[in-house]
This record gives sequence, structure tokens and C-alpha cells, in this order.
Amino acid sequence: MADLDIKPEDRGDDRRDRGRNRGSNNNRKRRFEDADNHYDDSRAPPAQRRRHDRDRDEPHHRRPFREPALPKIRRELLNIASSTKLPQDEATDIARLLGDNYDDEELRNEFFAIFLQLIIEQPFKIPFVAAVAFYGNDIKSDIAADAIKRVADRAQTALNAGQWKEFKLLLRSLACLQPLFEEDGVFALLRQLFDTVVDLQSANESDVVGIELVKIILLTIPYALVSGGPSFHEQAKGILESTAIVAGNMVPIEGLIASYSDHAEEKPFPYHSVIGLLQTQLSNEAENGWEFACIPRFHRTIPKAAAEDSLPTAPVLHVFPTLSVPSPVNPGPTAVFPEAFFSLFAGHDIATVPAITDISCSLLRDAIVDTIDQLDFNREAVAKFLIDLDCYWSVGVFAKRGTHWDKLHEGYGDTIVWKSEDMIIDAIFSQLFKLPSPQHKLVYYHSLITQLCTTAPAAIAPSLGRAIRFVYRNIPVMDLELANRFLDWFTHHLSNFEFRWRWAEWIEDLSSSDLHPKKAFIIAALDKEIRLSFAARIRKTVPDEYHHLIPQELDVDKSPDFKYDDPQTPFAAEGQLLFTQFRKKASPEELDETIKKIHEQAAEHGIEEVLVPSTDAFVTAICRLGAKSLSHVLGCIERGKDRLQSVARTSEPASRQIVASVVAYWKNHPGVAVSIIDKLLNYQILAPSTIIQWALGDHLGGGKALTESWIYELVSNTVTKVSSRNRDIIAVRLQKALQQQQVDMVDGHLAEGRNSARELFKSIDDAVRGVADGAADGLMEGEGSGAISAEEGQLIRAWGRRWQTAFLRRAQVEESVIGEEAIEARLRLLAAEADPETLPEADHENGTTAEVPNGDTEMVQVE
Amino acid sequence: MPSVRSTVDRLDKPSSYAASKKRRRGGGRERDEDDGRQQRSISPTDKLKEATTLYVGNLSFYTTEEQIHELFSKCGEIKRLVMGLDRFQKTPCGFCFVEYYTHQDALDCMKYIGGTKLDERVIRTDLDEGFAEGRQYGRGKSGGQVRDEYRTEYDPGRGGFGRALNDDYGPADERY
Repeated sequence: MADLDIKPEDRGDDRRDRGRNRGSNNNRKRRFEDADNHYDDSRAPPAQRRRHDRDRDEPHHRRPFREPALPKIRRELLNIASSTKLPQDEATDIARLLGDNYDDEELRNEFFAIFLQLIIEQPFKIPFVAAVAFYGNDIKSDIAADAIKRVADRAQTALNAGQWKEFKLLLRSLACLQPLFEEDGVFALLRQLFDTVVDLQSANESDVVGIELVKIILLTIPYALVSGGPSFHEQAKGILESTAIVAGNMVPIEGLIASYSDHAEEKPFPYHSVIGLLQTQLSNEAENGWEFACIPRFHRTIPKAAAEDSLPTAPVLHVFPTLSVPSPVNPGPTAVFPEAFFSLFAGHDIATVPAITDISCSLLRDAIVDTIDQLDFNREAVAKFLIDLDCYWSVGVFAKRGTHWDKLHEGYGDTIVWKSEDMIIDAIFSQLFKLPSPQHKLVYYHSLITQLCTTAPAAIAPSLGRAIRFVYRNIPVMDLELANRFLDWFTHHLSNFEFRWRWAEWIEDLSSSDLHPKKAFIIAALDKEIRLSFAARIRKTVPDEYHHLIPQELDVDKSPDFKYDDPQTPFAAEGQLLFTQFRKKASPEELDETIKKIHEQAAEHGIEEVLVPSTDAFVTAICRLGAKSLSHVLGCIERGKDRLQSVARTSEPASRQIVASVVAYWKNHPGVAVSIIDKLLNYQILAPSTIIQWALGDHLGGGKALTESWIYELVSNTVTKVSSRNRDIIAVRLQKALQQQQVDMVDGHLAEGRNSARELFKSIDDAVRGVADGAADGLMEGEGSGAISAEEGQLIRAWGRRWQTAFLRRAQVEESVIGEEAIEARLRLLAAEADPETLPEADHENGTTAEVPNGDTEMVQVE
Repeated sequence: MPSVRSTVDRLDKPSSYAASKKRRRGGGRERDEDDGRQQRSISPTDKLKEATTLYVGNLSFYTTEEQIHELFSKCGEIKRLVMGLDRFQKTPCGFCFVEYYTHQDALDCMKYIGGTKLDERVIRTDLDEGFAEGRQYGRGKSGGQVRDEYRTEYDPGRGGFGRALNDDYGPADERY
């Protein structure tokens, strides 16, 4: 990682091996090596590139090995587009091998199974895979006919299930076969899909499934035109005219998925919807004669077998398969949202990625993102495919790998070339920063970036370094949730690379107020790094200027001080006694005695809620006793559970004191406090609303709390917990064949969950709106007394606005899942689905496994 | 439809641990290579079908619960975390069990966290049939994991040289 101070390539490999070889089981290493040829029969030669074969063939004294057809066709198909053969020859060879063995049913089935799976899992290869069927048509028209039929069947299944990504990819493979179809081919289907869009949009003006369908239509056109040729230009134009209105429209939720704050005066990148961009790009491309330069092309050749004197024959044409769009349309297992286009590198002075007006921008992005998301189960393979990006597109689209960005256009004359590493990083960040959420857990994208840096450090690291600097520069105007995702990724990433970063670049920001978003980011990043490591280690990785942010208190390898050890602390004697009693597992009566003493004294001092000081003492004692580790504190909480629950039920201020005491004890390690509070939520000692009231009420401090990333973490975790409980209820409700009695009961829970979620969001909004408007009590007082300067006041207000947008979005996303309308739509769909007996898989899909991508559960069963 | 195989290998498959162990057991002399793990009864693959627990190996002895929590909760909420301990000293000995609430979280952890670093060491994850009392202890002769008994390379994160070797050459601390 040149930019992140990573040493050359061999270093990275060395590091990986060191870790891997050490374990007693060297499994993962083996997997990595086998990644692309695990299908191979052990008898077959390993999948190697052509040049190796040549080397091996030189000494001719060995008996030539004749590879059986099945493993050979498997290997060649799986490795398509990765050899040094011309893609056209490669596809023809595979097609011929298939044609020669077409009577072998096992081979045929295996071939098409891989054929389909490649389309779904390795989108880069779709044009190449389709080419096998395309050339196969001339060798044996059954090849194309079978391929078309199987793809169409699978596409229908995907359509029925609302698996839009798979449907799009399968449709693309059909589009690549456009010249083999009678009449309009795929264009007839695109028009049919558009009719569905019209129906959806006229039934519901904020419909989002229609938007997804338009995206699929627009992304299919380029592939159909490249293979179909100029005779279809008019049809494409017709479709483009009809999609314009939908593509240009904004649905309400789009106001909340922008990457940068709406209030920012100057945004690094304006909001564009993905389909809006696609529409513009395709219109531009129409003016350029529909060139689609980046898509690889396959031309029909005269079969070699044909004698020179015979004229080329017309290909056998096929009827385009009939696909039917189910009614009602199944929106799929996860809620669909419109997409914002995100880029770190687009529009810079030196263009390293396609301009957003260029269709290559969307075509490449779409294929890269799909490769990433479809293969999440093997990040090592994804990293390899991404590094090999230039193998799968037209020659000359990309600069030589690893070319430095400012030397990108040297030596290429007027030809425009892109930097593949920038495009890869751009695509991964587009997912890391996708709102409301990407397809997979965020940590997947973290681990993929780590993998890329390990696979090709010298090429990837400079792009990554530029990405980090770009985001850091714009962090003040970035959506709050995205800023926190960046924080989480950045620190996790550094933890994989010895915490090396050029912190010296950011020294000047240390002099800003802690309220400044960049300074707040630095403070939070150091805390997060320490959580994954330890303070003394992190201090060694940053320049001296940062050391005051990692005070010595963080080092001590002992528990934080117990405040009651200091006799000056009110109730010191009772606090100490409580601690001793609790440690020695004294009886509840003895504890009661001590607590009563605190109550009496507190009452004497005129404290209104005497439970507050006694709870403080009790919780602090639990924290002290459990300070050794999370397990210890959990054990202590378990022991004090009944008392804590009853306190929390009796008094609101005392229940908020539970949160306050945990935070106070762990003030130097907020991460520990956040974990403990999360567990208290699980024990139902704390209610979600209590945590919010403490964090955005007692602790708000005129809005300064909004700058602390751990407060965001606390509030965000709490909201996530509430919404995941609600999703569990929904999963139960959406089971088939519930008894009426069960339905009533679940509906009751659902209504309750819905109401409390709405109330929670409202209380968050009320609190942060006050800060955003400058009306919050603490803020007004602080500004009035001069404790908060005018400049600080503005910073705090901006934080308030960012909080507001982030949680407004969360609220709307929640509404789209648990709102009455959303539930009713799901129930209608459930009713419309076929009987569970006739469709055994349907039942399975409605269970909690419904959101499992790529059939994870299924795969485990397959040895 | 026949079972669909992926075009590339999956990182969320259980390791060959269960299968190899079964073979070994059938093959006569029985010797446990891995620590903190007990023999499995019938059909290990079936048991792992719904597994929510992971065995995590190659940790440093100094890695804390909090650090593990911080990393592993990126894949989902952690239900339980059991540190692997030296049988005699009751100190961490370089492995742990992480239990999630759902099978999917455990699979995701295999895919996204297995093979990445924690505390600057590449860690190993494996699906596990579930923690049982007693499995938190190392089963090496001296109380730690078997792999730390005879290790010949120096590993400061795991107590220096192998324990058996330390006995011969004196404790690692005195030499370095």
C-alpha cells in the first residue's frame, strides 16, 4: 500500500502465509488455491493458462494425456475469458466440444448447470458464456435452443420470486443472443416489462418496484444492441422514449437517500438517481450511434467446416421464450428502494473513471457491483475477478494495471482509458455508502477491500488512499450514517494493516474545536482503533501531536477507579459497603439495609428521587466488580437483575441513572459502556426509550452529545434492536396457515411494536430537531451565556440537521416494513401465492431464511 | 432441480475437521489434534446445518473479550462469548467460542471475518456444533492448546516457543 505505507507485493503475501500456515488446519490456503478449479476431477490436469501447457508439452516422451470430455468442458467453461485464447475461438471450441458430446446427458446437464450458475454468479462473463450458445447454434441448433429454454425457465423463477438481480443477469444473457431470435426478440419482452411498470406506477405513485424494472430494462438495451446490431436501433429508441418519464421522476423517499447533506452549500457530488443517469447516458449514446465501446463483441463466423464454395447459411432462428410477469408483482424478499449513484472519483480534473454522462459508467459499475454482491461467499475469488477486470471488457478500455493516476493519459494519446483500480474502489464504496443499506453486511465490503489490498497492494493502495482523503475532506457534509460507516470501515481496515496511516496529513485539524466534524472523526477513529487493539499500541502509530487524545489513563491495565473509594464522594461509605456486600454475595436483605441508608441520607439532603443515588451506587458497584471482562459484568448484572428491573420499573430518573452510571464508570472506554447498555436492553432492565431519553436528554449538553460517535452508536444500536424485534414479529405473522387465534395475538404484538417504534423515532426527532433549529434549552442557554460561541452554535446546529436526516430515513425505512400498508401488501402477496403443498419451497421462503442471499443455507448441505 | 453448486468455492463451509476426525477415529489410534473441542457424535454435517456457534482460533493470549466483541459484533449480535482457557492457570490460551443468535450471522462471520486480522493476527473461524461445559479448556499436556506444546517457531502472542520445548530450554521470557 504505497499510500498507506505498505511495502511491495511480496510483503502482503508473506503476511498472509504467516498467519495461515500457523494453524493446525491449513484449510483456507488450500481453498484459495483451488478457488477457480475446484470442479476439476483430480485426474484432469489443473486449469492452467495456455503458455504453461506449451511448456509442459515440449518433452514429447510422455504419453499424451487425453482428458475426458466432462471435466474438460467443466474446466473450460468455468475458466472462460481467463485464458490467452481469443474469446471467439474459446467459445467456439467449447461449443464444439459440447456438440460432439451432446448425447451424453450427464455432460449436457452439467454444462447447462454451470452455464446458468456463471450467468448468476459471474456477471463479467455473461457475454462470453452467451457466445458459447451463439456459436453453438451453428454447430448444433439444439445447443442454443436448450440454453435459451433453461435460461428462460430460471428467469421466470426469479421473476416469480422478485429476485431482481438474478432476473436482470439472466435477461442480459438472452439479450446477448438477440441475433438468434425471430422478430423483435428481447425487445418484445422489454416492452412487456414496461407495460408492467405503467401498471405499477399508475396504481401507486410512490411505487419503487417499477423503478427497479426500468433499471433492468435500461441495462439490458446496451447488450441487446451490441449483439443485435443497427436493425434494432429504432426499437431501442422507442423504449427509451417511454421510460423517460419514470426515469426523470423523483419519488418521496429519494429525498432521504442522498449521500451528502441537503443543507450543504457546496456538495462534492450532486444527487443523481441511478435510473435518471442511465436514461441520460443512453440518450447520449443514441446520438453517438449506440457504440457501447466497452462491451465485448462476438461476430458470427462462417463455420470452418463449410467448404469454400458454399455460401454462408442463415442461422437457425428461435422463438423468444414467453415470460409472464406475475400479478401482483412480487417485490422480492427485501424491500426495494430507489438508488442514488455514488462516486468518489467521477468528475475530477484528471478523469480516471468514466464521466457520469457516459454509459460505460453505468455498465461497468453495474457489473462490478453484481460481481461483488453475487459472490459474497468467496471474497478471495471476488478480489481476483476485480483485479482481472480488464480481461472481461473490450481491449483498450483500461490503462495498464497499477498506472499512477496522474500518469494515466501518458502514452495513450487521445484515446481515453480508465484506471481499473479506481473503478473497483469506487464501486465498493458505492455499496459501503449505499442508503438505506447495501445487500450484504457492511463488514463484507470491509473484508473485500482488505482482500484486494492483500492480493494487489501496489495497485489498489494508492486508489484507496485517494478515496480516504476524498471522504475525509467531505466528511462535514456527508450523511451522518455514512460518516459513521466510514469511521467503522477506516478503523477496521487499519487494524488489518498494522494501523498504518499518514496521520501527519491531518495534524492541522487537531487545532479545530472538538465539535468540528473532522476533529470529531479523529477522536472517534482513535477510540475505535483502541477498541480493536489497545491504547499503548495505537499511541505508537500516530505522531506526537495526537498523543494528548490518548491519555495515560487509557493505558493502565487495571479497572477504572471506583469513585466511592474517594471519601469526598457523597455516600462513599455506603458505596464501598455495597460493593463489598455484593462481592461477597450478601443476602438481598443486607443490600436493602445499605440502600436504605443511602435513601435516608439522600432524603436528609433534600434529594427528590432517593432511588437515584442508591441506583448509582449499586450500578457502579456492579461495573467495578465486573470490570475484568464483559463476561464478568454480565454475571454481576445477572445477579442484580431483579433489583435493577424493579428500580427501572419504579422510577424513570433512576432507570436513566442506570445508563448514566455505566457511562460514568466507563468514561474512558465508551465502547464498553455501549456494549453493557446493549446487554441491559436484552435483559429488559432498560427500555429503548430510556436510553434515548438519557442520550438525547440528560446527556445532550446543548447538543454537544451529537458530535460523539459513540452516542450515535448507542442510539443507532437501540433503534436497530427495536426494528429487529419488529421484524421477528413480522416473520411470524407472514407464516402460512396461522390459526385465527394466533393471527389475533401476533397482530396485537405487531401493533404494539409499530407504535413503540413510531414513538421512539418521534422522541429522537423532537430532540435533534430542537438542536437543528437552535431551540434546544442547553444550546440557547449556552449561546446566551457565551459558553457556546456563535461558530460552535452553527456547528452544533449542522450536527442536529445531519442527525435529523439520518433518523428520519430510519423511520421511513421502518415504516416501509412495519407500516400498516406494507404489512397489508405482504399479506395480499402471501394470499396470492400458490398453496404450500404444491410449492414446497414457497413455505421455506417465508420463514426467517427469506432474506438469505445466494441460497446460503442450501449450500451448506451440499458437500 | 439438482443441488446447485457454486462456480467458486464457499468460505462458509465447515472445515474438514469433523470429517477428518471421523476418519481418524475409524482408522485406529485416536488422537485429538484440536483443542477445546470434543468428539462429535453422529452426523456432524447435520449438526452444523443450523450452527450458530463458531470456534475461533489463532488468537493472541492477550486478546481480550472486548476486542473479540468489537470485531465479531460486526456480523450480528453476539449471544455468548466463551474464552478458551488454560486448564490449569485459567488464563486465555488463544481460542474462543462465539455464539450468535442466527445461523446466517455465523455463516457471514465465516465469510467476512474468518481469515482477517484481530489484534494483528490472522484468525481462523470454523462452524461449531455449540459450546458445552468443559470445552473452554485447552487439552494440551500443560493446560494450553495442543498446538502450543511443540511449536518450534517463536510466537510472542502465544507464550513464546512451545511449552514442551520451553521445559527443555527454560521459559521463553528468560531467553528474550
